[in-house]
Amino acid sequence: MIELQGLTKTYAGKNVVEDVSMTLETGEFGVLIGPSGCGKSTTLKMINRLVPLSSGRIILNGDDVTELPAEQLRRRIGYAIQSTGLFPHWSVARNIATVPQLLKWSKSRIDDRVDELMAMFHLDPAEFRHKYPHQLSGGQAQRVGVARALAADPEVLLMDEPFGAVDPITREALQAEMRRVHGQTGKTIVFVTHDMDEALQLATRIALLNNGRLVQYDRPIEMMVKPADDFVREFFGQADLGLKLLSRRWVHQYQRPPSLTHHATLPGLDHCWRLDEAGRPIVLEGARLDDQHQHTDVRSEWIATPEMSMKEALSRMVWYRVMVLPVVDETGKLVGEVGMQGIMGIESNGGLHAGGPAS
Amino acid sequence: MSGAARSARQWRAASAGNGVLFVLIALLIALTLGMAQLEPLFRALFPDLGNPLYARDSFLNLMLAHIGLVLVSSLISVTIGIAAGLFVTRPVGREFEPMVSSLAAIGQTFPPAAVLAIAVPLAGFGFAPTIIALSLYGLLPVIQNTIAGLGTVPQTTLEAARGNGMSRWQILRRVELPLAMRVIIAGIRVSVIINIGTATIGSTVGAKSLGTPLIAGLVGNNLAYVIQGALLVGLLAIVTDLLFERLERRYSFGGQA
Amino acid sequence: MALPERRRWVGNRVLATLLIAAVASVVLLPFASLSPNRLVSGQPVMLWQALAGWQLAAFALIGLLLLVAALAGPLPRRLALWLSLGATLPLLALDLQALGAYAHGALADASPAARVSQGATFWILLFASALIAIDALQRLRLGPAGRALYGVAALAVIGVCFSGELLSPLSIMREFANQRDNFIDQLVRHLLLVGGALLPALLVGLPLGLLANRRARLRNGLFSVLNVFQTLPSIAVFGLLIAPLSALGRAVPWLGELGVSGIGVAPAIIALVLYSLLPIVRNTYSGLAGVSTGALEAARGMGMTPRQILWRVEIPLALPVILSGLRIVTVQAIGLVVVAALIGAGGFGTFIFQGLGQYAIDLVLLGAIPTIVLAVIADFALQILVSLSRPSGTR
Repeated sequence: MIELQGLTKTYAGKNVVEDVSMTLETGEFGVLIGPSGCGKSTTLKMINRLVPLSSGRIILNGDDVTELPAEQLRRRIGYAIQSTGLFPHWSVARNIATVPQLLKWSKSRIDDRVDELMAMFHLDPAEFRHKYPHQLSGGQAQRVGVARALAADPEVLLMDEPFGAVDPITREALQAEMRRVHGQTGKTIVFVTHDMDEALQLATRIALLNNGRLVQYDRPIEMMVKPADDFVREFFGQADLGLKLLSRRWVHQYQRPPSLTHHATLPGLDHCWRLDEAGRPIVLEGARLDDQHQHTDVRSEWIATPEMSMKEALSRMVWYRVMVLPVVDETGKLVGEVGMQGIMGIESNGGLHAGGPAS
Repeated sequence: MSGAARSARQWRAASAGNGVLFVLIALLIALTLGMAQLEPLFRALFPDLGNPLYARDSFLNLMLAHIGLVLVSSLISVTIGIAAGLFVTRPVGREFEPMVSSLAAIGQTFPPAAVLAIAVPLAGFGFAPTIIALSLYGLLPVIQNTIAGLGTVPQTTLEAARGNGMSRWQILRRVELPLAMRVIIAGIRVSVIINIGTATIGSTVGAKSLGTPLIAGLVGNNLAYVIQGALLVGLLAIVTDLLFERLERRYSFGGQA
Repeated sequence: MALPERRRWVGNRVLATLLIAAVASVVLLPFASLSPNRLVSGQPVMLWQALAGWQLAAFALIGLLLLVAALAGPLPRRLALWLSLGATLPLLALDLQALGAYAHGALADASPAARVSQGATFWILLFASALIAIDALQRLRLGPAGRALYGVAALAVIGVCFSGELLSPLSIMREFANQRDNFIDQLVRHLLLVGGALLPALLVGLPLGLLANRRARLRNGLFSVLNVFQTLPSIAVFGLLIAPLSALGRAVPWLGELGVSGIGVAPAIIALVLYSLLPIVRNTYSGLAGVSTGALEAARGMGMTPRQILWRVEIPLALPVILSGLRIVTVQAIGLVVVAALIGAGGFGTFIFQGLGQYAIDLVLLGAIPTIVLAVIADFALQILVSLSRPSGTR
C-alpha cells in the first residue's frame, strides 16, 4: 500500500504539482493520466524522489519514507521507463540484476531471480541472457526494462510511460502482458500515460491530473459514469477510440451461428430466433435489456448484413435496445447473428478488466 | 569532429566579439611594424643581453615570409585536397575512397616536425622542403574534412536535387558544396593552423619565417629574440584561427552538421 | 543501370594505380645512392643497376602477380585480393634485402667513409606494399584479428631483415651504430617526456571534463582558454615559457634544484600538458554528455548513488570517447616532443636538429623515422584500446 499525502512541487515560485493526495491499496494498478504538462510525470518521480518534494509525505506500507535516504527508498521501489533506460553496456541478465546487485544479493540468488523473471516475461534465458540491449526488439527491450524494475521484488512498481516508444501492435501486446504480470505478482503499480486507451486497459484506479492538481481519483467505470466535473467528462470524451476501431471492423468478422433454440447455460442472455418458411428472421425471443423473455418482432431497421461496419451494428443494438442482431444474406435469409458479447469478446474487455478489484 | 567541439566553438563565437578580434589584429600589425620601438623595454627586461632586438631582418619581412609560406602551401593543399576529396566521393573515384581516407588518417599521426625533416633529403634545404612538407601535411585534414563534409549531406536532399532535375554539376555546386562547406572550412582551418606552427620550425631547414628569430634566440641563448618571434607567431595563429571561426560560422545553416 | 556496362579490364583500380606508380618510380627514380662520405649527397643508383639478376626476376614476378590480381578477368575477386595481400610480404622483404645486398656489394671495395643510402624508389616500393596491403585488408573486410595477424607477419619480415648484418652497411644504420647508446637514451627520454606530460594532463583533464559536464557555465570559458593553447605554435609556447620559468627557477631555489629552469624538461612538460588538456577535457565532456538520459534516469531511479552512477554507468559508457581523446593527445605529444628538443628537452628531435645543423641527412632520418614509427604504433595501440573499451553492448 502506498499513500501520497499533499505532494507539492514548486519550481521558480510556481506549483507544478499541488497538494496531490491519494492512496493505492496493495495489488492495485493506479494510472496517472492527464494532458501534457499536467504534472503526472513529476508526481510519479516525486514518489521515488527523482524529483525532490517541496512538501508532502509518502507512506509506504505504513512506513513514513519521506525522510529515508533517496537511494534506499529507490531500492524498495521498482522503476521502469522507456527502453532507452536499459544500460547499453550491460547484457540483459546484468541489466535485470542491477538492483539485486546494489542490494548485494548472493550470485546464485541473483541468477535464480533473473531466470525466474525472464521466464515470467517469456524471454528464453538461454537465448536472451547474454544479449545486449541493442540486439533486442523494442518489445523485448521493454520487457527487460519491466523485469529489471521487478528484480528485487519491490513493494511498489513505478512506470513512466514505459510503452511510449513502441509501435501500436507491440504496445497492445505489452499491455496484455503487463495485465498478466500484474495478476501474477499482485504488485502495487503506479503507471503514467497520456494514452486513455492504455489507462482503460490497465487501470484499477485512475488519477486524472490537470494543471498540477488531482481532479478525480476513482475506478475507471466511476470516472466515466460519475465524472467530477466538465474537465473529466471532456477528457473521457476523448476515449472513443474503441468506437473508432469498430468503424474499421465488419460484421462478418464477429458473426457467429444463429441461436435457434434456447440455451439455459447463458442465463440472462439466452435468446432464440423464429424464422419464416424462407428462412427469414421474424421474431427474437429474449435478448432484450428491459425484459429477458419478451418476444420482439424483427424490424428491418435493426437487421445487419455481413458487410455492415461493427460500429453501425453496435449503434443499432444500442438504439433499439437489443443485445443481438440477426445477420442476413441478400435474400433476407438468416445466416448468423452478432451480439454485444461478440464485440466485447473479440475486441477487448473495454477496461472493465477481469480479476481486478474494480470490476 | 565531435558535436562538443562544434558547440564549444559556437560558445566561443558568442563570447569572442568583434572587439577582441580587432584589438588582436591591431596588436599584430603594431608589433610587426613597431617592434623596434620596444627596444628600450627589452633592454630593461634583459639587461645582460648585448642585442635585445632581433635586427638581422625586419619583422615585417619575416611576417610576410611566414605568411607567404603558409599561403602558398595552403593554396596547394586546399586545391589538391578538395580535388582529391571530390574525386573519391564521385562515382568515378569511389573505389579509392577507403584508401584515401585511411591514408589521410594515418598520415596525420606523423609528427609535422618529422615530415618537415624528411622533406630535406628529398628537396634539400630552404623554401622548397618547407613548402613540400607544409603542403603534404596540410593536405590531409582538407581531404578528410572534404570527404566528411560531403558525407554529411543528407541522402534525401540529394534525391530532392536529382528529382528537381539538377545536373550532377549543379548538384555539386548548388547543394553539396554549400552544405559541406562548413566542415571543409574547418579542415582548412586545422591545416592552416598546423602550417603556421610548422612554418615556424621551417627556419631549422633554412626557410625564412617568424621562427628565424625564435630559433636564433634559442640557439644563441637570446631570450629577447625568442619572445619577439614567439609573440608575433602566436598572435598570427590566434588571429588566423579567429578569422576562420567567423568564416565557418557563415556557413552553418541552422546548426546543420 | 539500364545501359550495358563497358567491359572492365581492370578489376582493382587502386591496385592498378599503385602498381603504375611503383613501376614509374622504378624507371624514373633512384633506388639507392652512393656517396664518398656522410656529409655530401650521393650518386643516384637505379634499381636495375643495384640488383642481381635473381632479384630483378623476383621483382618482376611479384609485379606480374600483382598485375594479374589487378585485372578483372583471370582470378576470382577474393582470390585476387588474397594474392595481392600475400604478395606484399615478399615485396617488403625483397625491397629490404635488395638494398642491404647492394650496400654490402658496393661498400666491399670502397673507402670506409663511403656511404649507401636508400633512395626514393626504395621508399615508394615500401609505401606501395603498405598501401596494397591496406587496400586488400579493407576489401577483404578482415576483422581486427586478421589485421593484427598480417601486422605481426609484416613486423616479423622487417624484424628478420634488421636482425642480421643485412642492413648494417646502410648509412642510417651506421649512424645508429654510432649512436646506439644515445639512441636508447633518447628513446627513453622521448617516452618519459610523453608519459610525464600525459599523466598530469589526465590528472587535471579528466576532472575538468567531468566539471565541464556538470557545470554548464564553466564550459564556455574553459574551452576557449584551452583552445588558445591548441592554436599557438608549439615552439612559441616553449619559447614563451622559458623566461618565466627561468625567473621562477632563480627566485625559488628549491624549484631550481628540482630542475625547474627556462630550458629543458620543465617548459617542455608544461607546454605539452597545456596542449594535451583540450582534447582530454573535450572528449571527457562529450563522452559523458553522450550517455543517454534514459540510462541516467533509470540508474537514479533504481537507487544508485551518484558515485555508483559515475563508475558503473557514465564512465564505462564514456570510456571509448575519453580514450579517443587520449589517443589524440598521445600521438600529438610524440610529435611535439620532437620540437621540444629545440629547448634542450632531449628525445628524437635531438637527432633531427643535430642532423639538420650538420647537414647529415641520415642523422635526421634516424630521428624522424623512429618518431613516425612511434606515433603510428601508439596510434594503432590506442585504437585497439578504444575498440576494446567499447562495451560489447554498444556496437
